[in-house]
Amino acid sequence: MTGAAIAGLGLTEMGKVYGRSSTSLAAEAVRTAVADAGLTLTDVDGLLVSSGIRQDVGVGLAAVLGMHDLSLLNQVNAFGATAGVMVAQAAQAVAAGAATTVVCVFADSPLRPKESSGASYGSPGRSSGGRSGPARGLAGWSLASGAINPNILYALCARRHMERYGTTSEQLAQIAVAQRAWAAGNPLAQLRDPITVADHQASRWIAEPLHLLDCCLVSNGAVAVVVTSAERAAGLAQPAVHVRGYGQAHAPRRMHAGSDWGLVTPAARSGPQAMAMAGIGIGDVDVAEIYDCYTYTVLVTLEDYGFCAKGEGGAFVADGRLAPGGALACNTGGGQLSSYYMWGFTPLSEAVVQARGAGGARQAPRHDMVLVSGNGGILEHHSTLVLSPHRGGSRP
Amino acid sequence: MTAFPKVERDASSAAFFEAAARGELLVRRGSSGTVLPPEARTDPVDGSSDLVDVSASGEGTLVSWAVVHRAPVPALADAVPYVSAVVELAEGPWLIVRLVGDTDSLHVGEAVEIRFVSSGGPDDPGETLPVFAPVARA
Repeated sequence: MTGAAIAGLGLTEMGKVYGRSSTSLAAEAVRTAVADAGLTLTDVDGLLVSSGIRQDVGVGLAAVLGMHDLSLLNQVNAFGATAGVMVAQAAQAVAAGAATTVVCVFADSPLRPKESSGASYGSPGRSSGGRSGPARGLAGWSLASGAINPNILYALCARRHMERYGTTSEQLAQIAVAQRAWAAGNPLAQLRDPITVADHQASRWIAEPLHLLDCCLVSNGAVAVVVTSAERAAGLAQPAVHVRGYGQAHAPRRMHAGSDWGLVTPAARSGPQAMAMAGIGIGDVDVAEIYDCYTYTVLVTLEDYGFCAKGEGGAFVADGRLAPGGALACNTGGGQLSSYYMWGFTPLSEAVVQARGAGGARQAPRHDMVLVSGNGGILEHHSTLVLSPHRGGSRP
Repeated sequence: MTAFPKVERDASSAAFFEAAARGELLVRRGSSGTVLPPEARTDPVDGSSDLVDVSASGEGTLVSWAVVHRAPVPALADAVPYVSAVVELAEGPWLIVRLVGDTDSLHVGEAVEIRFVSSGGPDDPGETLPVFAPVARA
């Protein structure tokens, strides 16, 4: 119980949205979220901003939006864990009386016409890559290792799990297939055509053991949510989505003998924190919106949250358990793999839709408790939220 | 172009590349005695930043590997497909390295050993780089 609720949600168009800056997209998402809540910009006294791959939107957004009287303004960055960290920070500010109505916004615009997703992800200043002369120092040695982007580093993690527990690429495929099936019901999803395990297996290798269809999209767009008190949210335009619990944990990878990097993530600490605050157990979760930069991220996060035992994630996700009609409604909008890649605002935005019961064709039948994860770095940073349409109790 | 893009030393890596040129892998040792990767700045056991250079044996075991088919940056375009790996040195630290040699049918825990390769092309050589290879199997 935090006393805070999400009262508004705003999304822009997603994907190949060209010709607009991240700031312009962010401003649109903020305006949409505030209007969705039945508020105006003058009602907002807090703004938290997160930028993505391009790292090109910041606190200057407040001036763009004419917000000249804020009590809270900050740029937040915990990599892919940022969305949950922002909502927790907003909830804490509301609970402390530091602000009454805080908008959290993410925006990014890495895609350029005629450029691949991989090039977009890799381009802005990630590594020297030889574009501007030789690589220098130990960073050059690191470049020569070849393991210099998330595709490759997550492949190293997935390989560990496969070797230790017998997890297979076909099991990872089940995650991609299930999420694509969910995406069919999401009008904003970039990829909505069904895929099969065979399609996944036939998709080209990116970094073995990861195929193309194990990897998330890259998207231009923005998402914003409005966080306010449960009392205030109750009188606003949309059904309140209560922030019942939050947690975060950070474990920059330990590169030493005995390290469990890649096999266990900080979700194992963040999840129990959030669920304890909410007063629920894993069995109470109706909908799981799990950060899915890669299929493997979903599998290892489900294990760390306790949906199944460590090492049993492969068997757990098989047999369509995560697909529409399956036992666990998971990544019901298609996730980052099939809908849009807004870092942690992908699972967060879909969680708000589901908690409201506004999912239409993709609405999960039970949505009393919605778990939201954020994962950053190479399985090094984690945030968790528990959202519910109910202010107290686990059921209406 | 080359499988190993040209690397130049800077002030903080001069000792590392000097050692590589004479066939030695330089790592770091903290005041607790923990041996750490070359890029380490802090001994996590005691929080100390008082690290010294030590020469590693160059023997290790394979922790994980990935076969990279899509070059992450243009400088590696001529290198794909290649194998990147996590290697555990006998002294304890993990390194993320290129794996060369016979990389068919790898398995976790198998013995690997250090090799040294030249970076850059023949006309434009860079520093010598430590890489690893599986120990020859009988």
